[in-house]
Amino acid sequence: MNGGTLLTVLFCAGALTGGVLMLIARHPMRVALALIGAMLSLAGVYATLGVHVIAVFQVLIYVGAVMVFMVYVIMLLDVRDPSFLHRYGGTLLPGVAVAALLAAGLAAAVSGGGAAVALDAGADGGAAFLVQPFSAGFLREYWLHFELTSVLLLAAVVAAVAVIRGGRRNDG
Amino acid sequence: MDRAQLLLMTGIALFAIGLAGVIVRRNALVMLMCMELMLNGVILTLVTFAQQTATIAGAVLVLLIFVVAASEIGIAIPIVLLLSRQRRSLDVETYGELKG
Amino acid sequence: MNLLTLIVLLPLAGFLLNGIVGPRAGRSFVSVVGCGLPILAFLAAVRCFLQLQGSDAAALLETAYTWASIGGTSFDIGFYFDRLSAVMTLIVTGVGSLIHVYSIGYMKDDASYARYFAYLNLFLFFMLLLVLGRSLLTTFVGWEGVGLASYLLIGFWFEDPEKAAAGKKAFITNRVGDAGFLLGMFLLYHTLGTLDMDRINEAFNSPVLPAVSASLVGVLLFIGAMGKSAQIPLHVWLPDAMAGPTPVSALIHAATMVTAGVYLVARLNGIYAHAPEASQLITVLGAATAFFAATVAIVQTDIKKVLAYSTLSQLGFMFVALGVGAYGVAVFHLYTHAFFKACLFLGAGSVIHAMSGEQDIRRMGGLARKIPVTFVTFAVATAAIAGIPPLAGFFSKDEILWFAFSSETGGSTLLWLVMSFTALMTAFYMFRLLWVTFLTPSRMTHEAEHHVHESPFSMTGVLVVLAILSAIGGFISIPHFLEPLLPLARAQESLEHYEKPLIVLSVLLAAAGLAGAAFVYRGGLARADALAARWPRLHRLLSGKYYVDELYDAVLNRPLNWISDRVFLGLGDRFLIDGTLNGLAATAQRAAGRLSRVETGNLQFYVALAVIGIVACLGWVLRHG
Repeated sequence: MNGGTLLTVLFCAGALTGGVLMLIARHPMRVALALIGAMLSLAGVYATLGVHVIAVFQVLIYVGAVMVFMVYVIMLLDVRDPSFLHRYGGTLLPGVAVAALLAAGLAAAVSGGGAAVALDAGADGGAAFLVQPFSAGFLREYWLHFELTSVLLLAAVVAAVAVIRGGRRNDG
Repeated sequence: MDRAQLLLMTGIALFAIGLAGVIVRRNALVMLMCMELMLNGVILTLVTFAQQTATIAGAVLVLLIFVVAASEIGIAIPIVLLLSRQRRSLDVETYGELKG
Repeated sequence: MNLLTLIVLLPLAGFLLNGIVGPRAGRSFVSVVGCGLPILAFLAAVRCFLQLQGSDAAALLETAYTWASIGGTSFDIGFYFDRLSAVMTLIVTGVGSLIHVYSIGYMKDDASYARYFAYLNLFLFFMLLLVLGRSLLTTFVGWEGVGLASYLLIGFWFEDPEKAAAGKKAFITNRVGDAGFLLGMFLLYHTLGTLDMDRINEAFNSPVLPAVSASLVGVLLFIGAMGKSAQIPLHVWLPDAMAGPTPVSALIHAATMVTAGVYLVARLNGIYAHAPEASQLITVLGAATAFFAATVAIVQTDIKKVLAYSTLSQLGFMFVALGVGAYGVAVFHLYTHAFFKACLFLGAGSVIHAMSGEQDIRRMGGLARKIPVTFVTFAVATAAIAGIPPLAGFFSKDEILWFAFSSETGGSTLLWLVMSFTALMTAFYMFRLLWVTFLTPSRMTHEAEHHVHESPFSMTGVLVVLAILSAIGGFISIPHFLEPLLPLARAQESLEHYEKPLIVLSVLLAAAGLAGAAFVYRGGLARADALAARWPRLHRLLSGKYYVDELYDAVLNRPLNWISDRVFLGLGDRFLIDGTLNGLAATAQRAAGRLSRVETGNLQFYVALAVIGIVACLGWVLRHG
């Protein structure tokens, strides 16, 4: 196993650890931190794959915006309610069983190979995913999609404001 | 197991863990975070496949998914906020209107 | 030239008009339509009769309508007018029209005037279908139809549950007989391939007999005749049928419907001439009915019931004639019976009308002076039925007695003795009725006596016409008229010289009956009551009509009721059907209750369920992908 593969394995383990910690931790803040850890590990995975742009954006957008927002909200809300004392509801065993089943099924599909998953072991996009070629190609061919997402973001902003405003009106 | 399969298995595992978290945990915010984990698992598989092609289309799709995820969490959290303000609790077990 | 169809359709038009428009159209309209159309039918029948006499053909034929064409055969509604049908049609329309006219006066005050005439016209329609029908199928339609009309008219005042029950009894008893009729029809069709009555007779009269037992067919068809013509054991409905209005009793239960059985046997004489066992059965049952009905009539106290049992008895006479092979003579008696029985019933109606509804003869008496026209016509008709010459009844009854004695196919001295004794009793109870009602000192209540009045002309006029016909009708010798069609029975050669003495004997019997009645009932009911006290058990047996109704009740009604209640209602309906339905509903409810436990309101539970579904789909795709 060479260094690249070792790194990949390490980062994958990190992501999985983060995931499991999310399930176990009691305080939501700790859950958030575990998630941040998992996301950073994933960014590392993307980096080892050579998709640097995605790795960067993972950190910037996901960790830097989404998780920060999450942390703020956790700070604002009083989290010491019954869900703090009792982490798990009645659906603990069924939930875990079901998730395990799903994982097993999907894994069977993936490892079975054949027509289910068309994997090409050695293929590699190569240099197309470095920052400069990626950016150039992105803005040259996919600029319309880029603009449309800004519309989506606008809609999201309006919706968020509407939700808060409406909520405030009900409250008052 | 080669690298691609490893990554796929990891993606599947992350998805399953996130799903388990959604079903098992009682706190609403924790549920949201587990949903993010699920999404990350899916993105990992997408990146795995995208990286094998010669075009950047898959990677662009991942970028756009980031944007969607952000806007989604931007709306979901205010909703949970309002809900918790009304019920004075984040415990999803108390949200029982769908009963019967 | 569709005159035969016209005869049948005119009363139907009357039914429809009176039924639909009648209630709103007023009494005059209903009367004119209700009586006018049957009178027109009678005139058409006379025209057909003259046409028949004028031509050489044996019969007039008309096919009105093809009912069904199944495979190679077609079933038509066709009409057949030969001499026998002519006699029947003229009686039905003639006497029928007279009774319609009588009803104008009798039912004047009834609220359902239009409905009455509608039903009466309906009856005429079906009766004409019956007598004019060429095929047994058409006749059967008429057969059932007159049963229906009889039910409707017996239960005309249906608000009284007893009267409604009487209607039901008539219909159901008729239906029992109809089962035999249907079986006979099936057998005939199966062997001969046709239901046309003239062809059936031809087939049986031909040298090669059909491959079916004539006696079997004869007995089956006779069972139908038993129901319709009230022979033992299906006679129980006729006395109860007196619950209907009196003109109905006159028309249906004296002159026309009850004679349908006689008509059927006479029409199918080809079968019965070759069916000695069936003919014997007919003779025995006819004699039994005649005898027993006469014994019961002696003690009846309701004026209409006496006449009802008298009808039973006279029908028995007709069937005896049929049984010994004297078909034409039976029809002759049918013809004279129509006149005097209708006259008697309508006279009774007139008496009831005069007495403001009273029907018990023990509360009558001394009416001769008060309602003279009714009295005279009633007396003439009584003399006719008793067999006093030269009135109509004498001729027909005497011929029956002669053939009962001497016929080669079934005549015997024993039969003659029974029938003569019955004739004696007939004279006795009829003159008893006359005396007790009209000639004894009055036993009426003061109030009733005050209100006694003669009936209007529409009623008394009809009585006079019928009385005249009862007097002179016997001079038209029907048997000779029908001879080409219905061969006369052959009398045994050795007994030929008994004919004149027997005639004298029957006249003496009639006179004896008259004398006996006059003697017993001269001063009132005292002597009769003393006689009844001397033999109380016999009196009770006769008053109870031999307890036949009670027997049927115990043997048939009660077990059937028990079965209906316990088996069909309790077990079948409540337990099986309702139980199944309720059980299904309860199961559905319980299942729904159990299934609704899925909706816990817990969001995470729902997610888990959804994922289970996804996993299942995934597994299936992987297996079969």
